Amino acid sequence: MKLPAFVRLTVRNVMVNTDPGTMFFMFGIPIFYLLVMGLLYQGIITGIPVNGVLIPYTTFLAPGIVGMQAFTAGNIGGGMLWADRRWGMFEQLLVGPFRRSEYLFGIIFLSVIFAIGGSLIMIILASLIKSATFSMSLLSYAYLIAALVTGTILFSSLFLIISIKARSMNAYSTITFLLFFLLDFASTAFYPITSNTPLPLRIVSAGNPLSYIVDVMRDSMVYGISYSTLFDLGIITALMAVVLPVSILLYGNVRTGIQ
Amino acid sequence: MTDSPEYAIQVSDLVKSYDGRRRAVDGVSFHVRQGEIYGLLGKNGAGKSTVIKVLTTLIPPTSGSAMVNGLDVRRDAIRIRKRIGVVQQEESFDYATVERNFDIYGMLWEVPRHIIASRKEELIEFFNLTESRKKRAFELSGGQKKRLQVAREFIHDTDVLFLDEPTVGMDPVMRRDVLNFIREKVRDGLSIIFTTQILEEADFVCDRIGIMDKGRMVAEGTSRELKEKFGSMKKLSIGLTDPVPHEIAERISRSIELVGGITSITVTGREMNILGLDLGSNVKAIIDVIGSLDVSIDHISLDMPSLDDVFLEAVKK
Repeated sequence: MKLPAFVRLTVRNVMVNTDPGTMFFMFGIPIFYLLVMGLLYQGIITGIPVNGVLIPYTTFLAPGIVGMQAFTAGNIGGGMLWADRRWGMFEQLLVGPFRRSEYLFGIIFLSVIFAIGGSLIMIILASLIKSATFSMSLLSYAYLIAALVTGTILFSSLFLIISIKARSMNAYSTITFLLFFLLDFASTAFYPITSNTPLPLRIVSAGNPLSYIVDVMRDSMVYGISYSTLFDLGIITALMAVVLPVSILLYGNVRTGIQ
Repeated sequence: MTDSPEYAIQVSDLVKSYDGRRRAVDGVSFHVRQGEIYGLLGKNGAGKSTVIKVLTTLIPPTSGSAMVNGLDVRRDAIRIRKRIGVVQQEESFDYATVERNFDIYGMLWEVPRHIIASRKEELIEFFNLTESRKKRAFELSGGQKKRLQVAREFIHDTDVLFLDEPTVGMDPVMRRDVLNFIREKVRDGLSIIFTTQILEEADFVCDRIGIMDKGRMVAEGTSRELKEKFGSMKKLSIGLTDPVPHEIAERISRSIELVGGITSITVTGREMNILGLDLGSNVKAIIDVIGSLDVSIDHISLDMPSLDDVFLEAVKK
């Protein structure tokens, strides 16, 4: 069976990224957050107040970890362009039977596959935790997948821009490392943002796309779908609609074959 | 498979300028016949790699025309790319093991799995990568990386193969093996453009050679034709009985220059090489000059110039 070019490129991207280091980054760290950090914090946190009811910390944390998969997968996908330029494969593929657009699709599809696969693993693991309880419907699954896909495309685009603009490996690593900490920890993934949260952190969290992705996950898995879920999904989609064209534009201008 | 036109490559008045100013390629024309190995020679920055990049559709030409197997590089880029193989000068490999690099490449070029499996084994063995097959490509030495790059292009079928300095970093034995392998493939109908700075390689493997300098084609022909074209020039090699000190070497050079028709003189230790026109009729005069300086000659030979000599002469003009 003949596979379309973008599918072959996606398969290639998956093959290249199924190394122990990437797998640990994609799945190991989130599993650590969920199982080790989640259960340890649960011992000292009686519960997270939601609508006057306390929910276990692991129930609160699990959607945060699922939402983070969009960020992690986007990082791996967007970073492919950096790696391919670094190792000479970008030009090598462009003298092969592929269009530039197909290369881009290959990166986005890789990210989406990793995000969905990673989320599935996190949901399965979270449901094995005794204290964590989730209630999901077909509608909530639809919201979860929609937020995951749009969020992943948003972050892939963001990391594509960094891949294009970063001039050195050090610059690329430093920026992604900083973003990793800033976006992961200044979001609603690990902690609820309340009126007690310091104002600067509240502002950062409100401007952090990961917060909106995590909020959709939490509504889908724990609180139930409401208008605010739709609003959060709208924010993610709007951000994606801005960042994706910018990345495509910059990507189109990446010059090849210049000595 | 595309129909086979007479020429695998046809380049006519090709110009490539960057930002409308610097002309990396300046009106180059040449052709490569089907089943031919065409060597593109030139110093660094002569424009060879730019020609390759235009022909492999990586960069568009500024003007002129370039056809690969009858297809235009501007209009038929994707069709061209399906039928070419490219070993770029810069290293390129996937962040994976040697074996996986072959698997990925074969899959990308839609090679059936059983063919990938068998070709992979042959190529790994031939290119002496057996011990490194489980290593990640970035862990390989420079020569091994280049071998992987070259070997990988033979996992899929191609009509035209572009080899941009493919033997850099390889030891002499592997280099000769790779060149023989390439010649073997040409017998099966493959056409090849080959760039190198090792002129012996071009002499050994190329059917025809084009010499580029400053973006222009300054000489073209078979190795023999080029030697004959620059052939009024001859090379006189003189072996001296004893090594000569630097001052004497200088005096010999200055004196021989007076004989006339001399293009270059190099004296190192016991070896003396003189390039020039009508050297045959001047041999006696040169021997007399050397004798007058009390330097004795062990042996003497008058030859055609090597491709190195032709190259130096061509790019000097």
